[in-house]
Amino acid sequence: MRTVLCFGDSNTHGQIPGRGPLDRFDWSARWPGVMAQALGPGWYVIEEGLSGRTTVRDDPIEGMHKNGRHYLTPCLQSHAPIDVVILMLGTNDLKRRFFQTAAEVAMGVGCLIFDIKDLSPGPGGQVPEILVVAPPPMLDDLREWSGVFEGAPAVSRRLALEFEIQADSNEVHFFDAASVCACDPADGFHLSAEAHRDLGLALAAEVSGIGWAND
Amino acid sequence: MPDMRFAPPNPIRIADRAAGLNAVSVRSYNERLVLSMLLQHGSTTRFDIGEKTGLSAQTVSVIVRSLEQEGLVTRGEAQRGRMGPPTIPMGLNPEGAYSIGISIGFRTTDIVLIDFVGGVIDSETLRHVSPGADHVHPKLYSTVGTLLAKISKARRRRIAGIGLALPEGFGDTRELATFKERAEADFGLEVFVQNDVTAAANGESLFGVARDLDNYLFFYIGAMVHTRLILNHQIHRSSSTSAFDVGLLHFERALGSNGVSTEDLWRRSEGSPQYATAVERWKADCVALLADKVREARQFVDVGTVVLSSYVPRDLCQSICDDLSSREQGLSAVVGSIHLAPKAVGAASLPYASRFTVAG
Repeated sequence: MRTVLCFGDSNTHGQIPGRGPLDRFDWSARWPGVMAQALGPGWYVIEEGLSGRTTVRDDPIEGMHKNGRHYLTPCLQSHAPIDVVILMLGTNDLKRRFFQTAAEVAMGVGCLIFDIKDLSPGPGGQVPEILVVAPPPMLDDLREWSGVFEGAPAVSRRLALEFEIQADSNEVHFFDAASVCACDPADGFHLSAEAHRDLGLALAAEVSGIGWAND
Repeated sequence: MPDMRFAPPNPIRIADRAAGLNAVSVRSYNERLVLSMLLQHGSTTRFDIGEKTGLSAQTVSVIVRSLEQEGLVTRGEAQRGRMGPPTIPMGLNPEGAYSIGISIGFRTTDIVLIDFVGGVIDSETLRHVSPGADHVHPKLYSTVGTLLAKISKARRRRIAGIGLALPEGFGDTRELATFKERAEADFGLEVFVQNDVTAAANGESLFGVARDLDNYLFFYIGAMVHTRLILNHQIHRSSSTSAFDVGLLHFERALGSNGVSTEDLWRRSEGSPQYATAVERWKADCVALLADKVREARQFVDVGTVVLSSYVPRDLCQSICDDLSSREQGLSAVVGSIHLAPKAVGAASLPYASRFTVAG
């Protein structure tokens, strides 16, 4: 049995576009669930998606617990040994209150990679496979969220390149979610059921594409 | 003083991903390791790349992604396994790189343009005014120029260089130096030189029947018969003579027809009992020598395969191989799969070796 930890925000949690934080797709429709079904019985997929989670930033409005860096280490240790850690974060770092550039957000992801390597929660205390997923760019119309995310859509379009540079220099896996899905127009930054399905299938292929010995 | 662990990353790899090939200096040893494996083994999975190179899955992932974006590597058709999602094989993109190969032979000079997997895109043959492999054909430079002019700009940017295969004893002449200088200056392509028979063996190892063979004995039948011993992908040649006079010159002499091209001879031999007998006699001489050389090699190393390369008709090559296999126990003799200008195709693999592999 191999273990995949999906560490993300509301788009890993499965929040339904245009609805409240309590409205969540069913397990089988959320991308970690889709991925689990595609990977088959040899894989144990853990969902760790929190609405509003940032990479490394304390949120003065939503609370300190939204800082991904505080929670990542205990989370990894709780679920160890872990074969693959998927990181899909970054959108919340684009909120006006943080006012970050794409490169700064990517550096936040770099910190999380550093923490994972430092803890080495893989089998036998090894570094697990780390897959950085760049979230799909936000749409221009963010409805009632446009004030919170003022200026963010333009920055979000540069995240994929900065994330890939970060993944390359840290020698970890990378996937650009925009290559298979887009944000839903209902709110401009959450994923529809269809997007969850496409992303889940693509990430299952990425995870198995890493290559695993038969055992 | 910033904490270097969190310093901004160096984006050189991605910044260099414009169309065309990266500069040689940028290509890391690990990238060359992965490309060497793909050149040698063809299509494979990322897992196998990791197993064979000893690189971690994450390192392989980064390198393969970079090579993919550069257009050197492509994903193959997804392979469905018994369970789980399909696996995706990786292979060289045939259109990822191109190379020009030139071989100066006894009667002709052959020029080929090949793709990244050894497919011949275009070729030209220049006849020598008088037989002999000792000078650069006056039209060689312009013929290469014409070949280059025919291909698209996008492909032109992806040409790795020019490989030049020269027969043993080819003098380091002034005209050779001039050709190299002009080619490098006018076409912007580096010229790599290698012995022609070694080049032909290289071609079979990379693109032909010898692809999966670690060890084999290589014979080339041209004007003379040449041998090479390949051990663990390394090509070795005898320190004494490695050319034997039972090749086509011998055959032509036997027919008393010096100066007539062998192509005409093959054609004439069809339906003529006299020529057919001569072919049989020559074949017997040839097989006797090859068998001799196989036995010599087998005194020292365990060689199970012979690869025979030649431009003589394929069925004749096959018949030589059959005779050899039946004479020598436990030996499998096979005809090389590069039939059109094998030495030139082999020469064209030189720039790939130099620019993309760890051997280079």
